[in-house]
Amino acid sequence: MRHKWVKGLAVLTIAGLIATGCSSKSNEPNGAGNTPAKGDPTKLVISTWGFSADFFNKEVYAPFEKEHNVKIVVEDGNNADRLNKVKTGGSSVDLIYLSDYYAQQGIEAGLFEKIDRSRIPNLNDIYDVAKAPLGEDYGPAYTIGQLGIAYNSKEVGKELTSWKDLWSPELAGKITLPNITSTSGPMILDAASIAAGNATFNEDQAMAKLKELNPSVVKYYSKTSEFVNMYSQGEIVAGPIMEMYVKDLKEAVPDTKFLAPKEGGYAIMNTVNIVKGSKNKELAEDFINWHLSKEIQEKSAKAKIDSPVNTTLNLTAEEAEGITYGAETINKLHMLDMKNVNANLKNWIDRFSREVTQ
Amino acid sequence: MKKSYLTLLLLPGLVFLAAFMVIPILLTVGSTFYHEGRFTVEGYLYFFKDPYFLKILWTTLRVSLVTTAICMLLGFPTAYFISQQSPRKKALLLALAIFPLLTSSVVRSFSWTIILGKKGLLNNMLLSVGLIQEPLNILYTPTAMMIGLIHLFLPLIIITLVGVMENIDTDLVKAAESLGANRFAAFCRVVIPLSVPGLIIGGILVFVGSLTAYTTPALLGGKQQVISTFLYQNAITLNDWYLASVVATIMMVITFVIIMIMNMLANKLNPKG
Repeated sequence: MRHKWVKGLAVLTIAGLIATGCSSKSNEPNGAGNTPAKGDPTKLVISTWGFSADFFNKEVYAPFEKEHNVKIVVEDGNNADRLNKVKTGGSSVDLIYLSDYYAQQGIEAGLFEKIDRSRIPNLNDIYDVAKAPLGEDYGPAYTIGQLGIAYNSKEVGKELTSWKDLWSPELAGKITLPNITSTSGPMILDAASIAAGNATFNEDQAMAKLKELNPSVVKYYSKTSEFVNMYSQGEIVAGPIMEMYVKDLKEAVPDTKFLAPKEGGYAIMNTVNIVKGSKNKELAEDFINWHLSKEIQEKSAKAKIDSPVNTTLNLTAEEAEGITYGAETINKLHMLDMKNVNANLKNWIDRFSREVTQ
Repeated sequence: MKKSYLTLLLLPGLVFLAAFMVIPILLTVGSTFYHEGRFTVEGYLYFFKDPYFLKILWTTLRVSLVTTAICMLLGFPTAYFISQQSPRKKALLLALAIFPLLTSSVVRSFSWTIILGKKGLLNNMLLSVGLIQEPLNILYTPTAMMIGLIHLFLPLIIITLVGVMENIDTDLVKAAESLGANRFAAFCRVVIPLSVPGLIIGGILVFVGSLTAYTTPALLGGKQQVISTFLYQNAITLNDWYLASVVATIMMVITFVIIMIMNMLANKLNPKG
């Protein structure tokens, strides 16, 4: 046969496509092998983003596994995918980490167990705003980050101070904004309302103000990595981003500055909740308590992985560099009402697509 | 062995396809006509009355058709060249042509962002030789999307065309030449018509691939959405699976219509038909 090899190549190609297209998403932290031999360890399934996996495996999961004779299994992915997985049922997830906005969706869909606050004593040590951001029944925020503006001070050539500066001519054609569908999208809508001079949220003026800014926007980003890429390749010189990621920007552009706008940045809270039907509710509560403990909060703050919510730790100025830290900073942050966001989001996305980006 | 037994061999494949493709597709399509407890075509009306959606649809079709046309133009001569080589060379050249398929589309799209960016390879080169004064704005436009898609799908059309072209009997070309056709005429009147089936199949693969591609438009496209990114937004961010299913059904119908049109063209152009 003359073209047997063509078929062979085609098969190879298809196999290659499959191999590159699909990769397993589940991974198990190491350190589970040395659990003490007091019966089979209980399995605790944690659904989380999967960033800084090495840190979490070593500092957070491994000590907990040892103490409670538990084997922690991690399922990672982005907010939406993981929430959908739990929503469609049949998952064995015990604990789920979500940003506040997705957690609110989960609450409205009735996916979470009510937590027993008396079993989580470390709640007493965290900021009031983090204790029950989505209601007393549901999980706390274990970290509060800040959304502000990062910019390349050399390219911009002037000091930025306010959300309004996004509209300044120096930035024309060189910025990115979060997509309205991303967690920080509604915050930008609120910031636009402030920039238009409103004390309370004015949807129409916010949309009009964003439309004015649209020609300046290179691309609306959905993932922080997109921001980092555009920024390091010089496609953009400024844009709203979480403070935690500024260290990645500084690596590429040393002249990067982070601005907490004078009108106040926005609080981005990541919460942890127990999934309804979990057979390990108490264990999950113990784990939440462990994650809020001074020890873990301090370690993850020093490793610059998560900004702390525990108020009992003291960081030096150097240790606090690049993370959102201190009661003064936290108190200045705007908090969006997630119930309101969820109720209006579909309408906002519609208006944003039709009125702003056209 | 009787023939009826042989058809049994089809069974595992059929069961698999029915369970994991036919039934899910039927359920998806069915669900679009049944919403909130009653029969409805509201979802479709909603989309087709919406200028925003129509614009997305138009961009998607335009990008896919241009991508297909350019892939055909680039793929045809390449495939003809490859099909004329000795088997050994052919295998090597085909492997090279297919090579891009072995890297993931994410990696390829990222590479294009480095090449096409404002401070990218292409702009730097053009600026330094003085061809342009201002960097070209290519990245995050439909053009960037097309470039990425052509890179992605060109190998598909080359493979299909080489398969068809090497089955063209060289005696036919010789016969045409002996009857007075020059090489070019022989190529136009013998090789091209006989390659039409390959061109059509390759074209369909490229078109369907471009229409449904998600990663490349998401990474290289800018503010302009295409139908697949719009579908993703409806399903994953808005959690509106009803509208997402409607969009999916519209995509399937478009695909079938285009395939039918291309097949009709093929029948008209094919000398045997």
